[in-house]
Amino acid sequence: MNFTLNSMILLSIIMLVSPLLYNMLMPHKTTYFPTYCKNMIMMAFMTSLPPMIIFMLYGQESVITNWHWFSITTFNISMSFKLDFFSIIFIPIALYDAWSILEFSLWYMHSDIFIHKFFKYLVSFLLTMIILVSANNLFQLFIGWEGVGIMSFLLIGWWYGRTDANTAALQAIIYNRIGDIGFMLTMAWLMLNSNSWELQNIFSTNMDFIALLGLIIAATGKSAQFGLHPWLPSAMEGPTPVSALLHSSTMVVAGIFLLIRFHPMMENNQMILTTILCLGAMTTLFTAICAITQNDIKKIVAFSTSSQLGLMMVTVGLNQPHLAFLHICTHAFFKAMLFLCSGSIIHSLNDEQDIRKMGGLFLILPITSSALMTGSLALVGTPFLAGFYSKDSIIEAINTSYTNSWALMMTLIATSLTAIYSLRIIYYALLGNPRFSSISPINENNPNLINPIMRLAMGSIFAGFLVTMSIPPMTSITMTMPDMIKLSALLITLAGLAIGMELNSFTNKLMNSMKHTTNFSNMLGYFTYFTHRIYPLMNLYSGQRIATMLIDMNWYEKTGPKGQTNIHSSMSSLLTSTQKGLIKVYFMSFLISITLALMFASMSTNNF
Amino acid sequence: MPISFTIALIGVLTYRSHLISTLLCLEGIILSLFILIVLLISHSHIVSISMAPLILLVFSACEAGVGLALLVTISHTYGNDYVQNLNLLQC
Repeated sequence: MNFTLNSMILLSIIMLVSPLLYNMLMPHKTTYFPTYCKNMIMMAFMTSLPPMIIFMLYGQESVITNWHWFSITTFNISMSFKLDFFSIIFIPIALYDAWSILEFSLWYMHSDIFIHKFFKYLVSFLLTMIILVSANNLFQLFIGWEGVGIMSFLLIGWWYGRTDANTAALQAIIYNRIGDIGFMLTMAWLMLNSNSWELQNIFSTNMDFIALLGLIIAATGKSAQFGLHPWLPSAMEGPTPVSALLHSSTMVVAGIFLLIRFHPMMENNQMILTTILCLGAMTTLFTAICAITQNDIKKIVAFSTSSQLGLMMVTVGLNQPHLAFLHICTHAFFKAMLFLCSGSIIHSLNDEQDIRKMGGLFLILPITSSALMTGSLALVGTPFLAGFYSKDSIIEAINTSYTNSWALMMTLIATSLTAIYSLRIIYYALLGNPRFSSISPINENNPNLINPIMRLAMGSIFAGFLVTMSIPPMTSITMTMPDMIKLSALLITLAGLAIGMELNSFTNKLMNSMKHTTNFSNMLGYFTYFTHRIYPLMNLYSGQRIATMLIDMNWYEKTGPKGQTNIHSSMSSLLTSTQKGLIKVYFMSFLISITLALMFASMSTNNF
Repeated sequence: MPISFTIALIGVLTYRSHLISTLLCLEGIILSLFILIVLLISHSHIVSISMAPLILLVFSACEAGVGLALLVTISHTYGNDYVQNLNLLQC
């Protein structure tokens, strides 16, 4: 059993490497490479299922330490995989999502001549994500961390001829880098204070506030929490499979995953937990507010992702990492499916992403629209779909715990806003009369499109139930609470649906007076307009000041050549104005003062 | 004897228009100083400073020469030695 689990996980990781090796050794054979990639991922998924089942049945966890990499005096780094509760369950889910998304991109990127390069990038992204998730020491985790950042950059800027895509890719890299600084802070602190980067060693010591703050900064950067969040909506410049894989299920949860990994360190530190809680609450509310007036379907889903990430942060801040992990797993399913459905809609309408130009797709794209509605229902936490098991548990936990009431209020408002923007997508994209031009042929005939959506739909319906019933409860949950508290998630969601319906009908009734109130939400809270301008502006100002004021003005005109001339001429004019050449007056004053001095001298000595 | 020094000093410091009167009274100062030092030596029998009057005389001759050279330059420039000509620095 030990052997089975270890070898099958390693085999599944090796299966991810083999498409990359194939492309490296035979780069000219690109015809069937995408299908080969997809099949390998499917095999890797199947291979990673037995370890998950073994874990669920027997509770078998393992740490595989393969290879001693290097040592710096007493500091050892080796290649080791930690297969515990979190990674054994996450790896099959990530591979399932990736399999569906790769199959979908066979349809979506069909007309792209560099489709093999696209698949190579996706597979290498997946490899680095698995490395990140299964890493036992921070060095390997950092390899995965940086790897997903780089692949995100390459994939967002896939259509690099487009300026916006390049800007968005650069934005993603810069914001992730700022988060990496926090990660390196933690790594440096651990290197100094506990002399090890292995998670087992770290868990048996204490971690200071500074080190945990570094982890929070890393999570803020990677998981787009408030402050370092603008890259996530901009990352929608990449193709839809990229958005589905990276920016909904796998990469952006890496930051949360890091915090979940370090949960034993943060259990007892109430200040850290409060920081995480408030940061998550701020994020979830802010991004939900931004989502409700967006006009691009992918941006709405991106903000929805960001809001759910904030919810995961809130859960981590409540000292419930297992609930956060459950939400990661269920969120992966329905968010990926939402992206795939929006990709299907976009491709069918000839690359139209604006929801104001969609409509009436309910009967034209039956599978897509039913999957979209299922996904949205799962997202808002409809009872007994996938999202319910995680989201409702989180809302119950936050309602019944001794926590910051402001964070609670923010989370509840964000939950109702979730319903509003989900309804916005459904209303504008699916319902009503068509607002698109009738030229593009709309069909769902391709099995490469239908099968992934169906698979993820199955996942988003059943996964919550299956995962919840298969894992042991790690924390004691509150079983008794008042009726209102128990039903609060459902009630605020229904209230959100009602308000959303009202908001959506504003366009039909031409309520133009709402424009000023929607500006804040539509322009993303003006965050990008402030920060993206101010920091380069200050840099440019300081550069200009240094060049002109410091060098030119100071060294040339105040102290250098011109300064010397100014000093000398002012000194000499000052001095010469005192000399008027009045010789006789000067002599007379000399005489008088000598006389007076002699008289005083002689009088003071009393010697006449 | 100090009174002659004082009178010559007043003569240096107060003059109406001619610069040469300054130089003349300057010679008077030096002469009175010379007489004072010689009287000092002969009255109090301090023989070791007997060279002092001679040195004073040498330096006074040089000084008078310099003063006369300045006077000649001024009168070369202006044609006379009136003091009110020396007003180049006056603004």
